[in-house]
Amino acid sequence: MTQTTAERKTDTTAAGLGWAALRRRDNLVRFSVITALLLFTLFGLPQLLSLYYTDAMTQVAIYAIVALGLGMLVGRVGLYSLGQVAVLAIGAWAAARLLFATTQPFPVVVVEAGLVTMLLGTLIGLPALRLRGLYFALITLMLSGAITVVLATVNFPNGGRGFTGYDGALLHIPAIRRPSIAGTDAAYFRYAVVVAIIMFALVFAHIKTRPGRAWAAIRQSEPAALAAGINITFYKLWAFALASFITGVAGGLLASADRFLYSITFHPQDSITLLAVVLMGGVYSMYGAVIAALLNSLLPAALQDWGVSQDWLTILFGIGVLQVLTTAPAGIVDQFPKDMKKLGRLLWRLVRRPVTAAAPATPGAASASAAPSASGASRASRGGTT
Amino acid sequence: MPSWSDFEPFIVSGLALGGVYALSGVGLVVLYRATGVLYLAFGAVGAMGALIAYSMIQAGTPGWVAWIACILFGGVLTLAYGMLFGPPLAGRDPLVKAVATLGLTLILFGVMDLLWSSSGGQARSITLPTDTGGFTVAQIQVTWTQVLSLGLGVLLTVGTGAFLQYTKLGTGMRAMANDRVITATLGVPVRRVEAAAWFGAGVLGGLAGLLLADLVALDATTLTFLVISSLAAALIARLRSIPVTFVAAIVIGLVHDLLTPITQLTDYRDMTPFVLAAIALLWVSRHGTVMTRSREEA
Repeated sequence: MTQTTAERKTDTTAAGLGWAALRRRDNLVRFSVITALLLFTLFGLPQLLSLYYTDAMTQVAIYAIVALGLGMLVGRVGLYSLGQVAVLAIGAWAAARLLFATTQPFPVVVVEAGLVTMLLGTLIGLPALRLRGLYFALITLMLSGAITVVLATVNFPNGGRGFTGYDGALLHIPAIRRPSIAGTDAAYFRYAVVVAIIMFALVFAHIKTRPGRAWAAIRQSEPAALAAGINITFYKLWAFALASFITGVAGGLLASADRFLYSITFHPQDSITLLAVVLMGGVYSMYGAVIAALLNSLLPAALQDWGVSQDWLTILFGIGVLQVLTTAPAGIVDQFPKDMKKLGRLLWRLVRRPVTAAAPATPGAASASAAPSASGASRASRGGTT
Repeated sequence: MPSWSDFEPFIVSGLALGGVYALSGVGLVVLYRATGVLYLAFGAVGAMGALIAYSMIQAGTPGWVAWIACILFGGVLTLAYGMLFGPPLAGRDPLVKAVATLGLTLILFGVMDLLWSSSGGQARSITLPTDTGGFTVAQIQVTWTQVLSLGLGVLLTVGTGAFLQYTKLGTGMRAMANDRVITATLGVPVRRVEAAAWFGAGVLGGLAGLLLADLVALDATTLTFLVISSLAAALIARLRSIPVTFVAAIVIGLVHDLLTPITQLTDYRDMTPFVLAAIALLWVSRHGTVMTRSREEA
């Protein structure tokens, strides 16, 4: 008893970080399952998948980062951004321009793309963060619309000269280069997964430490957070900058994954779809971002493979948003295990029913109901087991 | 720099566009004041109504039946959404209510793409009989549709203002904008007033879809995002004032179309509503105190 409280104390002081947290059995199991899954994703998956699905899974890894950024903004800070795809486009643009213009190593370019996006995101965010709630969501929608218009006019770099790097008269368009160690699609998939892991770790480190607690306070109540001495604007801006940075990094990955970029790839409608899948996946958990990315990138690829129209997916996402907002605010990541548990209990009851009906009921239960019905008997048995 | 005569035709088209933005903007503001829902599916509803009207006309239905069907579709669908999802979300943050309407937008988007696939590449259009007639003012050709658009914008702004001011239902809506619970306590049939607001906004959505399909293009994506422009007008009015919505809508329509002849800016003219709304929002929030007073908007 004393040992568990002591453990819990070390757990809270370490704030879930560090090796002390691993001493708890739950965390240890969780850690090993995640490690095994990641190792399988890195080394087993590319061997099993066809080229088509390897590319789709690369997109999943990239969009997991985007979903993580948006999920963090929505779930941790309470900022609904309706323009994340425009942020992604900025990252992709910056990375493509740098990859054409310089011979810098790929990781450096990706980090630079992230920093450029962070800078622009912060510049946009600085005035936008004065607005709250609904108005913030709408201004991000407006700004993403404006960014989309600019990108459609400026175009993505295609190896041309000048600041924009676009040359409409170019006959041979060179592909955007990939890192030297990840030239093939399978290798690039691994590369993207590793980058995604680093980004998840970065966000995890934020959530478990001071900024994460500040964000939680802000989400609960801004006046209360202010009263507690939290600099609201600073921490909101921090969240926005962090989300912009990782989305910019994802944009850098996307530029090299697609190899050729077009402005129609980044439509404002995709920002809405992205918010839909992030809400469906679950914004209060980091696993939700992975589920969101699977919904966003793997499902459309699979549907195309099976010859089903993508429009069904759009409809499904619409229904999913309404369902999440009305009944299941924590999304699939929270709801699915609950539903499975309910289903399991239901099945368990179905299996147990003949047994309890045959065996004599406990005296208390028998006296309570003279003619025990099937449901009554099962209820009694459940009461006995728990 | 183009000469003045290059701008003249765009004044007329800009005013017409502004008129449509005004009537949809007014619809958005009234619905938001009465129910607290910012109806982001407004454009998608109008687009789907217009597509239904298009298909009906193709099938040989008389034009006026199709137009009424388009407008009614907007009203009925919006009313159905309001009745289904209004009550469970009534106590939630305005942001959540707005995001929920994005769910409806996605559903409509999927349905429209499924039923009226754009992959065929054939351009759809709706022509109203008012397109053919018209008159000339100072050598500018004006069609009756353009007159109708601006006229409806003005009429609905004035009409809605009068309706909110002088009728019992309008008073009920204004009361609910202040406080839903107190309004209910005072004996106003809250659900019925809300239903009226939903239906009215939907009718305006259908009407806007029909007019925009004629004035601009009949395309699901274009129409859905065009209504973001009227959202911009509503935002400039801080989702509150109907006259400001009207003025903002006309300005957005005019600026958008007047940029067309300027070659350096013509590609960027679609940014007009976004930029104007962003500037307006930042201007009203410059002291950081705006939009925090009312509980509903906090």
